[in-house]
Amino acid sequence: MDAADARPAGLGPGLPEGKDRDLDRLLTLVARGDESAFAVLYDQVSGPVYGLIRKVLRDPAQSEEVAQEVLLDVWRAASRFDPARGGAATWIMTIAHRRAVDRVRSVAAAAEREQRSSVLLAEDDVADAVESTLERERVRRCLDGLTDIQRESITLAYYGGYSYREVAGLLGITLGTIKTRIRDGLIRMRDCLGVSW
Amino acid sequence: MVRLRSDLHYLTGVYALDAIDDPAERTRFEHHLRRCQQCATEVRGMSETATRLAFAASRLAPPQLRGRVLTAVARTRQLPPRVDDHRSSARPRPVPRPRLAWVAAAACLVVAIALAITLVNAERQLHRSRTAESRLEQVRAREQKIAALLTAPDTRAITHRTPSGLVTTVVFSLQRHTMLVSPTKLPPLPAGKIYQLWLIGPPQTRSAGLLPAGKYQGLAPVLVSGVVKGDIFGMTVEPAGGTKKPTTTPLVLLDLTH
Repeated sequence: MDAADARPAGLGPGLPEGKDRDLDRLLTLVARGDESAFAVLYDQVSGPVYGLIRKVLRDPAQSEEVAQEVLLDVWRAASRFDPARGGAATWIMTIAHRRAVDRVRSVAAAAEREQRSSVLLAEDDVADAVESTLERERVRRCLDGLTDIQRESITLAYYGGYSYREVAGLLGITLGTIKTRIRDGLIRMRDCLGVSW
Repeated sequence: MVRLRSDLHYLTGVYALDAIDDPAERTRFEHHLRRCQQCATEVRGMSETATRLAFAASRLAPPQLRGRVLTAVARTRQLPPRVDDHRSSARPRPVPRPRLAWVAAAACLVVAIALAITLVNAERQLHRSRTAESRLEQVRAREQKIAALLTAPDTRAITHRTPSGLVTTVVFSLQRHTMLVSPTKLPPLPAGKIYQLWLIGPPQTRSAGLLPAGKYQGLAPVLVSGVVKGDIFGMTVEPAGGTKKPTTTPLVLLDLTH
């Protein structure tokens, strides 16, 4: 089960159970137009893709729409994936996060997000439809190991889709401090999770 | 040249979390990444860490989504592999730009010049046949600027291709402070939205004009003045009428110095 920790350096992002390598292989097949490989890939990544987008956007209908765009993008652009530059999971999640952030930073959304910030910090993350509890537990434990500012700034930036300027404003901290706190926090998270990069 | 500042290194974390909303700052950092192997490795580890955060947020997707996506997939053509492109939407490569890019740029330049001349001629004929003196004057002025641009000693061309297939060719001269922008294969926009061009520079970010709404086929190249050293060319989608500052993530960003 705990393959991530035993993995030799440089093999991939270190998702549990060797999932990353499977995804790399699947995505390579998808790049060649293999629709059945895409269906398998869908089953493995639709949860994280939708979950991440939903976390950032909150609104279920918008999240579904953006998730559909992202998953279709994965199909369309699969040939642009280069395993030498990073794992398939990261390639896909990067697309998902950017799309969600683009949506949230669009003009129309600007007004709403003023209200979201307070909700975001106060909210308890437990959601009934959440899957993958093991990975969730690990990440939560590593997040708990951070200082409050590190944890809050990473959470606001990644799950909240806020820019670091906005995070600085929300937490009342200087830009320079936010940059270093996020960096230090991510390094601690990386080491805590056993990411091999 | 981008000035190397030690504090650039501290942007690795916020970059990996997509938390840099200033396009110029992001572009500067991406340039830095190409030269700083240590930063690139750090960003990669952080991106992989962010992926773990994403998986921890996993949540069952609505059941109807699967059918919709698979149906769309069956009807959607895939992009061909990237053969020659110095930029990418994916995470940064710490690889120096290959020399081949210059050959490609030279080829682009020839194409761009031919394109510009053809379009200018077409425009001239059109206007000669049907319209008033002042319009003709405008066309002549434009033509002169284009001629000055194309004959400048430092004229260069860059072609940029996005993963979604949008191809933008920019021909520019810093000595003449002008730039000819030719976007092709622009996706249509919803009503009330428009493509806006930008010059993003160390002094300030200024609008470089709007593309005419709804006429993206056979669009004449847009002539932009006031280009200075250090500028980055960008294109965003904005509300009709344009905005003072970019409000969305640029579809295209081209550094005119490198």
